[in-house]
Amino acid sequence: MIFNSEISGQQQHTTSPVVTGGSVIALVYNGGVIVGSDTLCSYGSMAAFKNVQKIVQISQNTIYASSGEYSDFQQVVKELAKIDRSALQYDDGVHPSPKDYGNFLARLSYKKRCKINPLYLQNVIAGFHNKERYLALVDIYGTYLESNFITTGFASYFCKAIISNYWNENCTLEQAKQVIRECFKVLFCRDCRAHDVIQLAYVDEQGTHIEEPERVETKWDFNGFKSRANEKLHTQ
Amino acid sequence: MNYTDILSSKFEPETTGTTIMAVIYDGGLIIGADSRTSSGQFVADRCADKIDYVHDRIFCLRSGSAADTQIIAKYVRYYIDAHAQELGRLPAVATAANLFRNFLYEYKDSLSAAIIVAGWDPYKGPQIFTLPLGGSVIEQKWSIGGSGSTFIWGFCDSNYKENMTLQEARAFVLHAVAHAMYRDGSSGGIIRLLNVTKDKIEREFIDYKDVPVK
Repeated sequence: MIFNSEISGQQQHTTSPVVTGGSVIALVYNGGVIVGSDTLCSYGSMAAFKNVQKIVQISQNTIYASSGEYSDFQQVVKELAKIDRSALQYDDGVHPSPKDYGNFLARLSYKKRCKINPLYLQNVIAGFHNKERYLALVDIYGTYLESNFITTGFASYFCKAIISNYWNENCTLEQAKQVIRECFKVLFCRDCRAHDVIQLAYVDEQGTHIEEPERVETKWDFNGFKSRANEKLHTQ
Repeated sequence: MNYTDILSSKFEPETTGTTIMAVIYDGGLIIGADSRTSSGQFVADRCADKIDYVHDRIFCLRSGSAADTQIIAKYVRYYIDAHAQELGRLPAVATAANLFRNFLYEYKDSLSAAIIVAGWDPYKGPQIFTLPLGGSVIEQKWSIGGSGSTFIWGFCDSNYKENMTLQEARAFVLHAVAHAMYRDGSSGGIIRLLNVTKDKIEREFIDYKDVPVK
């Protein structure tokens, strides 16, 4: 998807992504919200940067991840960090809630969309506030959707079925982690721009936890896969 | 009035079709680059120095449009100089990287610039930041860039090791850049190496006759 506006002579706002991050999958579970993404940033078709952290803690009870142009992701992280800092000026001890971040990002994305200069991202904001789980998607146009589960990028095609069948909103943390791992296994098998090293992060009553990257186990030694190489169609 | 029409019809913009590389080793980092600046098919400068001084222990490697990267490096050099004066101590490599990043991100539609910022600071030791076309910043232990880099990804992926010695890192950079120059028409000439440590900067000029792969 390439945006191209020909305002001849003047400043052109064209945005096509250069360094891109892959799918993000997020689920609520009984007691919190969990987000997973892989650790790859692609440069076109090349798997350029393989150890990238794409889930970031925004505040004590909010995490943010996105797929799309990585420089825009870094810019959004800076913009969201400003919110908490400027809220300090009110000196009333009130910190922005996860929903405040989600709403701000939606308004920012919409503003940039209106100027045909979008933040080339599908954003996921996840948090836990006042014993309530929060999970929202903000897309490239500024569409804001709160939901119990969110997939971005290729995962929207492959993973919604897996999630529907193996997850429910009151499952345990471990169950939710397993569902996300299964999703990324499928993505690694079927998405050219995916990587099998993923990172999980979750927010619960205790706060945010971002785990170390882990490699998902994919199975390739099926007999059907092996014997194809020795297909007896040609005999010499 | 569309100025870009005039430019593109007469000649290709001067670019640093290039091979640039930086590797962290145990105690510092080694920077390497070729020396060819091309204007389409013409070699405009056959002994260019693509390792630009930003500060006493911070350097940048430029690829993309020569005009874009030169002016950005000039601005960042100026900003870092003022910053270091006020700070009273060596600036952080990350600061320089962020200043470059601000240019590359804000003007991403108009610029053709990809930069590697490499240096040493007393806070985190040797660091390398890769800034590709869109304006992202990615910290790495080793980085290659420029058109020649495409030819040596395999070589670098298989030969890189963590915590190399100075000699190993120097040989790694020297051979990698040489291999890239061997196959990339836009890279060539001599190899310039730079060793950055806490105590000193050592520049090395590898003459064409001493390039290991020709």
